[in-house]
Amino acid sequence: MSLKALAASAGFLFALLSGVVAGAEEFNIFLKTTPRIELLRPFADPATLSLLVTRADGRPVAQGKVAIVIDAPKPGNFMSTDFPLVEGSRLLELVLPLRRGRAEWKYLFPIRGTYRLSVNFVAADGQGTFKDFPISVLEKRQKWLWLGLFCAGLFLIGFIAGRIFTTPARGGMKAALLALSLAVVGSVDGHDPPSPTQAVSNPQSALEIDGAAVGMLTTLRWRPTDTPVVNRQLSLTIIHLEKRKTMFAVDRVAVASEFDLKFHYPDGAEYRVNAVAEAPGQAPVRAEQLVAVTGIEPAMMAQISALSFFLAVIALGLAAGRLSFRYRHRC
Amino acid sequence: MERTLVTWLGFSLSERLSFLIKSGVFLSICGATLFVALASSYPAVHDTLHNVRHALAVVPCH
Repeated sequence: MSLKALAASAGFLFALLSGVVAGAEEFNIFLKTTPRIELLRPFADPATLSLLVTRADGRPVAQGKVAIVIDAPKPGNFMSTDFPLVEGSRLLELVLPLRRGRAEWKYLFPIRGTYRLSVNFVAADGQGTFKDFPISVLEKRQKWLWLGLFCAGLFLIGFIAGRIFTTPARGGMKAALLALSLAVVGSVDGHDPPSPTQAVSNPQSALEIDGAAVGMLTTLRWRPTDTPVVNRQLSLTIIHLEKRKTMFAVDRVAVASEFDLKFHYPDGAEYRVNAVAEAPGQAPVRAEQLVAVTGIEPAMMAQISALSFFLAVIALGLAAGRLSFRYRHRC
Repeated sequence: MERTLVTWLGFSLSERLSFLIKSGVFLSICGATLFVALASSYPAVHDTLHNVRHALAVVPCH
């Protein structure tokens, strides 16, 4: 091949590739959380998550929608969280339309760890982009404090027992003290018994919620039963009744026909789902449904790891008590 | 109690072995107590200690 032909081929290829790149528009997706990610805590207050989709020049996209997926943190190697069935599972799937390039919803993160928020943006002309956001949620300090105090108590019990067992028993007083120290007193506040799922008021629109159980996504569907309205806006809230916390909420989302949501209820308790549909010139239409989520016992392995840890703390206390007793009697 | 057992069985244990046996029994009792308190699904126990389980951050609950 001559040099001229080679140069012409290279030029043609360059022009072709330049055209393809120019045709595929670039989008940017930005995430903002309120409060900031560093301040998020599990089962505290719901976080407001906002997505902003812009074009390459920084202007928000006019139309489009985002498919949102939230995956829970992966299980730890040894210790589990207090909701082991949530670990490594999918927590949320929904599609939100963009309003001036933005989509916003509220979500309460149930456990500590690094979540993965996947956003798939599709513009009105079919172009799109995909982005993953890691969201790290730290455990509440208060819980670590309680765990530390509990372990200190177990260590003390082991320490006292270690000293008693090292010396010949000298009467009932020490045994009585030991028995007393073994007594565990907990605060009294449990679950209320769940009631079956029931629609409280559902006159004009329908909320359909599949049977909910911990460890799986549950489909929630809202669809109007009255005449179709183009500019309908839907507000939907999922509330944990026992803890009185909002688990998920969207506010005034434009809905053409129906709204689908897949939500993972993190614990076996009772939830209330509220939906309010508003349309211009019409009275708001409300729907409400109670959901009793079936709880599932965690795997024995997750429980054994925690119990083994606590027993190890007691054994450490036993050894420390024995060493302390022998050291004192040597001196 | 230990002396009674020694008299009854007719042999004596070394102090170290005695400590290990007593510690083993003690840890078994502690393990059973912790299991009932923190891992059992018996409703009366679970509901009473539900908040304690969650407060400890590493104890799994449903």
